[in-house]
Amino acid sequence: MSTTDKIFLDARELEHPVPLERAIAAIRELGEKNYFYMIHRKNPIPLIELAKEQGFSVLNKEDAQGTWHILIAKDRSLDLEALCDV
Amino acid sequence: MFSQNGLSLDQAPPISVVFRFFLSGSIFGLLAGILTLLFGTDIFNADTSQALILTHTLTLGVMLSFMFGALFQMLPVIAGVKLTAPVKKANLVQYPLVVGVLLLLSAFYTGKAVFFISASMLLGITIIGIAFIMLKNLLALPNHSHSTKGMTIALSSLILLTLFALYLTATLAGLLEGTLYSQVKTAHYSFGLFGWITLLIISISFQVIEMFYVTPAYPAFISKSLPLRLFGLLLLGSIGAFFFAQSWFFVDIVIVGFLLCYALMTLRRLSQRKRPIADATVWFWRTGMMLLVLSASATLTTRFHPIPSLQAINYIFFAGFALSIVFAMFYKIVPFLTWFHLNAQGYFTAPMMHEVIHPKTAMKHLYIHLATLAAFVVSVYFTPIIYLAGSLTLLSFGWMLWQIVHAWKLYVHTQKTGERFEMTIPKAKD
Repeated sequence: MSTTDKIFLDARELEHPVPLERAIAAIRELGEKNYFYMIHRKNPIPLIELAKEQGFSVLNKEDAQGTWHILIAKDRSLDLEALCDV
Repeated sequence: MFSQNGLSLDQAPPISVVFRFFLSGSIFGLLAGILTLLFGTDIFNADTSQALILTHTLTLGVMLSFMFGALFQMLPVIAGVKLTAPVKKANLVQYPLVVGVLLLLSAFYTGKAVFFISASMLLGITIIGIAFIMLKNLLALPNHSHSTKGMTIALSSLILLTLFALYLTATLAGLLEGTLYSQVKTAHYSFGLFGWITLLIISISFQVIEMFYVTPAYPAFISKSLPLRLFGLLLLGSIGAFFFAQSWFFVDIVIVGFLLCYALMTLRRLSQRKRPIADATVWFWRTGMMLLVLSASATLTTRFHPIPSLQAINYIFFAGFALSIVFAMFYKIVPFLTWFHLNAQGYFTAPMMHEVIHPKTAMKHLYIHLATLAAFVVSVYFTPIIYLAGSLTLLSFGWMLWQIVHAWKLYVHTQKTGERFEMTIPKAKD
């Protein structure tokens, strides 16, 4: 698990629809050994639905400051809860 | 498009539903351009049938089409409202709306009762019917944002203004005596301009300004209470007018104060964006808000000094305000929907948003829009310029029409020839 690479995107100050555009581009490039980690000011439901429909493993959590943490992996055996900073 | 409420993609309507409303809105915009060329500066005199025809072409044909298209898209995505059978509902709204508007314009032109009656039946049933369905779904939401509360009030205004319109058309058709015609007419256009158009824009802005442009949220004194206060004032003015002739004078002054406050706050929020570069949509919003400030100021001035030319310019300011926001939303919605629907269908070769409508294309439309507004204002003082204004209106809506056709062609082309994105990830069994 510790060798898994994190592809990180801080989308908190990106204007719509750039976060979604970049996130979709990133998850298309995901392999078995990495995962996508995005922080965002909103819960990006369309991205989450789209990733779930494509069969990705998804975790979305809001922290105490109201920032959303979204983790997406191709490898469904990855423990996203353990990788999440919240 | 984001929601806090939770939403499945399959709740969103097919892209064709939104595009068709935008298409008919653009075609009515072309009609507005043609009517301007035909009627000339008679459109600036509110007492003429030419002014009535152009006003209803813009408010019903253009704005209502765009607003219904946007609501069909935004209610599920932003508000989490489940509109079942969206294609069927859209068909039941769009065709009667188009025919109804044409009949109403014919009624204003000919004065014939048969046109008033048939237009009233079609538009009354359609508008009240869909507004009621949207309202019912909004009221059923377990959690409301300031945006959804505002939309609820705006849709209530739409129902009220349509009921007032039915009284007016029944009078014009000779079915009623119309003893309350004057009071109902004022209530009709006040609810139309402020309760429906302005309030819907305000409600949507609570969500989209912060979300699209990464600005601080609106202060609570605006987002919490402005829609309800505006609605309350409109009710007060409408009811008060039956007992006190000056009712609207005082109500209008307070409404103007609220609108100035809202528009200036929106301009401030747009100046607090973190990104230094502004695209065309930001400038459309800024233009709209500046025009709202000018319109509110002109309304205030004409209440004390009724200057006919300023009243004419105020129509241009208000129409410019509403159309600027329609254009801002159009340039956000069309590229996003095209790109997103294709991505959701798994097309690897889906065009990027800037390929659907290039930012420079939207910026060119902004210049056309600004030139159109300037030509209309100049034509109040130098009448031959009205033909330039009419031609620019044709260009403006022709420009939009082309963007819709272009986006649709790209969408269909990608579906026919596009390479599909195959994840081949086995789905979880749980």
